[in-house]
Formats: sequence, structure tokens, C-alpha cells
Amino acid sequence: MGTVNIRDARKSYGSVEVLHGVSIDIEDGEFVALVGPSGCGKSTLLRMIAGLEDITGGEIHIGDRVVNDVAPKDRDIAMVFQNYALYPHKNVRENMGFALRQRRVPRADIEQRVTEAARILGLEHLLDRKPRQLSGGQRQRVAMGRAIVRDPNVFLFDEPLSNLDAKLRVQMRSEIKELHQRLKTTTIYVTHDQIEAMTLADRVVVLNGGVIEQEGPPLELYDNPASLFVAAFIGSPPMNFLEGDLVDNTCLVLSDGTRLELPAGDPKGRSRITVGVRPEHFELSENGWPATVSVVEPTGSETQITARLAGNVVRVLVRGRTAVRPGETIHLSAAPDLIHIFDAAPVPEVAEMEDVA
Amino acid sequence: MSAIVTPAPKRLRRSLGHNLRIAGGVIVSIVFLFPIYWMVLTSFKDQVDIFTSPPTFFFKPTLDAYIEYMTRADIVPRLINTIIVATGSGLLSIVVGTMAGYALARIRLRGAATIGVLILLSRGVPPIALAVPMFLVARNLGLTDKHITLILAYSTFLVPYVMWLMRSFFLSLPRELEESAMIDGCSRYGAFFKIIVPISIPGLLSTLIFSMILAWEELLFALVLTNRHASTIPVAIAGIAGDTVNGANWAALTAVGTITVVPVVIFALLVQKWLIKGLADGATKG
Repeated sequence: MGTVNIRDARKSYGSVEVLHGVSIDIEDGEFVALVGPSGCGKSTLLRMIAGLEDITGGEIHIGDRVVNDVAPKDRDIAMVFQNYALYPHKNVRENMGFALRQRRVPRADIEQRVTEAARILGLEHLLDRKPRQLSGGQRQRVAMGRAIVRDPNVFLFDEPLSNLDAKLRVQMRSEIKELHQRLKTTTIYVTHDQIEAMTLADRVVVLNGGVIEQEGPPLELYDNPASLFVAAFIGSPPMNFLEGDLVDNTCLVLSDGTRLELPAGDPKGRSRITVGVRPEHFELSENGWPATVSVVEPTGSETQITARLAGNVVRVLVRGRTAVRPGETIHLSAAPDLIHIFDAAPVPEVAEMEDVA
Repeated sequence: MSAIVTPAPKRLRRSLGHNLRIAGGVIVSIVFLFPIYWMVLTSFKDQVDIFTSPPTFFFKPTLDAYIEYMTRADIVPRLINTIIVATGSGLLSIVVGTMAGYALARIRLRGAATIGVLILLSRGVPPIALAVPMFLVARNLGLTDKHITLILAYSTFLVPYVMWLMRSFFLSLPRELEESAMIDGCSRYGAFFKIIVPISIPGLLSTLIFSMILAWEELLFALVLTNRHASTIPVAIAGIAGDTVNGANWAALTAVGTITVVPVVIFALLVQKWLIKGLADGATKG
């Protein structure tokens, strides 16, 4: 059974705690993405599941076993590393068959499983090559092949696409998804790229500073971000934020005194708030929030407009084409349920994750 | 106009720089190789040619020195002793030092860095300061004039040497290699022997060769710890050079010297490919 249950997992290096009690229950066959900025503890958590890091506190179950003190080799997991970690002195066939040989699987079985995995991944013609004779994408496939011949309980992926160029990354992303749909093996996938997490996973766990910010299906996180951090992190281009005072529950007063009408008030009745609207949820209308267009970027299918609203940079994404020109004033509105309200706080720095989008 | 003219001096400069580099290489090679050349040359001279002034490059070569010394009872056994001791201490040090270097590179151990530095510092102790205590220990254990004594004594300076070289080699390998092997079904030992050691063979070989050369030419411990039975070639050479009865027999000295160098050169040539690869690999990555 490929279930993974993490109960209050903690990790400390010396006196510094980097994971502050994380609990996740992963069902058999589920694809879970652990996502967050660097240093959030996602890779550490994955390595704890793999057995490559000690578990300082809490319990990790794989199947119905507590694996805290089980050696990596006995956890029945397979892992794909960011740098692939292919054995440089072994050819592709030997790389893929290594784990099976360690388990003393009969030679004929190994050959058959390696051939099958190579067929799935399109590696048949490369079986006798050494890793250094392969391109980045091919190495990545061999690393996946090495994992799938094992037929393990759980696949662990640690930023497997980060070393590939943008185009290959998109291609391999689909391949990983297809592979999961085909094999239905429980998968835990670590990435700093929210797009990867969103597109691949059944469930996304957003980690920040060693705690879970929010977890749920990708679109749930997109539609109902529980915190400013998740709101800023999920979605590309990122959500726009405006901080100000809520007056009469219907009017947002920005720091320069600009008054913006809110179609719906804050159910929690806060007075100091940050309002978030996704670029794609803004509509150009007759009488919305006024903004001055600074840049118009058409891509054909959609057009991104960058505008200034009382000193704040606001991005707007409209479908198709637009006649809007730089310097013009546009009016922005959004449906009440697409306007998110958070406690006022500085917007988290997410530029780091944006580059991958 | 200038666009047409400029390439010529540029090319000229490049070829000039190239020639200068070659000339520099030749000069450095001469500086290093001439003493060896002179040693080999001298070994084929007779006493008269050796002391001719100015030194002569052309003379009637003779094998007298070789014949005399190779037939003397003490040279061949000493050559064999040297082979035994160099091989023994080289292999022992490579096994112990490699595993220690791996532990220092990879295992999270409290005080590992301190241990490493202390072991390195032990190399800073002048061998002469250790020679007498080592002799006393060997004598009390009844181990003087035995191969194993020299092998152990040489390991005291070879193990730290191997350990530090291999440590930096292992640090240049990605940690994920062993982690991957450990997930694939290896214990840490399994990962080390099945993955890390095979990858490190060029580095291991070059380190082994350097260690064996160090042991091959070691004089002080051999002088102090051996007498007749386990004595090595450097001791024999020192004996010839410091012969107070007959005076230094230069032909004999250089003949034995040549015999000592030849196996090292042959060995180095045989593994040259690995040697260079090992030296280069350590600097980049696995």
C-alpha cells in the first residue's frame, strides 16, 4: 500500500528547528506536490520520507509501517534527484537495473522490466550508453526509468525538472503526469515552481518557513488562498495587492487617500486590510477603479496590461486583444467573489518563483 | 583599413606567445630532467670519465657498475624489500586512508573537522623526531628489521596523505550518488564499494602511485628501523655515498640510483592515462 502519513514531523539541525511539526496524509495513488520558496523545508521533508535525513520528532508512516528507523533501502521507495545522480560508470541498462540487482531479482526479470521501462520512456536505443553521452532530457528520463523499474510503493521527486531548459521542462512535465496516470503510484513531488505543482498534483501542500501554509487541490488554492503568502505564491502572473483602511465596510482607502469602492465588505470586519485581485479577474469597465496604463503586452491569445493605480503597479490580463494604449486611463472592476481580503501585511517576496513560470 | 591590417599582428602575437610557452616548457623540462639524465649517463662511465673536467658527454660506456652492484649480495634483496614495503604501505594506506577520507567527507560526525586537521597536523611533525621513538617501540615489540615495521611506519605519513587527497576527491562527487544507491538497496558500505569506489578508480590509482613513490624513496625510517634483513634501496644508496672506507663510488651510486628510478618511471608510464585523469577529475567533478 502506497499511503504515506506524516504526523507532526520535526527536523532540527543542532538547536535550529527547520520543520516545525508538519502533518500530511497521502492516499494510495495520490500525487502530492510540496511547494514553497527555498528554505521552506520541502526538500528536507522529502529527504526525511526517503530516509536520507533523520527525523528529529514525529512519525512518518509508509504503508502501515512507521519508518522513522528504517533504512532508505528498506522503505520501498524510489527517488528522482534534481541532478539525476546517475551512476557515471554504468550504462543506462545497468543504471536502471541496479536496484533490482541489489534485490537479487532474476536476471531475465531485470532485463524484461528494464526493457519495458525503456519502452515507456523511449530509451530503447540508448540502453548501452553511459550517462555522459546523454542529453539533459535523456538523463532525466533515465532517472525516471530507474525509479519505475523498481515498481515501488512511493515515488519521490526532488525538483526533477529544475536542470532542464524551459521547453524541455514543459514537455517532461506532461510526461511525468502521463506516467503517473498510467502507473498510479503514490507520488510526492517537491518543487519551487507553483506551475509545476498546480499542473501535476492532485493536491498541493504549500510550505513556508517550516510550516504548512495551506493544502488542497490546486484550484482550491487558486480560488481560496488562505493567506497572503499562498495568494502571492499561487498563480501566474501573481495576484495584485492593495493595502488600505476599510471604511464603512464598502470603501478601501489607500495610503494616499484614494478611495476605491469594494463590491463586498469584509465578513470578518477588519479595518486594516490587504485586498487581492488576480490579473485575469480584472475586467475593463465603465466605472471601476481608475488606473493609468503604462505598458501593453499582447501575446495573441491574451494581453497583459501593466497600469498604475494610486502609485501601485497593477497587472491586468485580458483575453484576446485590446485597443487600450499606454497613457490612457482604464477602469478596473472584479466580481465580488473574486476579490480576496487578507489581514494587512507586507506582500511576500515571490519574485524567486516567478522566473520559472 | 585598420580592419584589414589588425589580424596579422594578432596572429603573430598568438604564435609568438605559443612559441614562448613551448620554450618555457622545454626549459622547465631540462631543469627537471637533466639531473636524471646526468645520473643515468654517469652510471655508464668509469671512474676516469666521471672525474674528467670539464665533464664529458661522449665516452666509452661500461656496464661495470651495474654488473658489480647487481651481483653484490645486498642490492637485489634490497630492491625486493623496497618493492614489498612500497607496495605494502601503499596498499595499506590506500585502504585505510580512502575509508577515512570518505568518512571525513560524508559522515556527519561531531568533531570530524577537528579530527581531520589533527591528522593533517601530524604530518607537520619532522620525521626525525619520530624516528627514535619509533625505533624504541619497534625494538620493545621485537619488530626491528622487519617489512611490516616499515610498512606500518610509512603508513603513519601515507595515511594522512591519502586521506586528505581522497577526502577532497569525494567532496567533489555529488552526495546524491550514494543517496541514490542507498535508496536503490545499498547500505552505506554497499554504496561506497559499489558506486563510489568504482567511480574513484582514477583518483585512487593516482593517489596509490604517489604514495608508493613516497615509500619507495623514503630513507630515514628505513635507516633507523632496519638493519640487514628488511633494508631498502635508499639505505643502500646512502651506504654507497657515505662509504668512508673506499670513498663514494659515483658509478655505483648512479647505477643503483638508475635501477631505483626505472621501475617508478615504467609504472608511471603504464598508468599515465589514469594518472592524468585522476589529477584532473579531482579538480572538476565525477
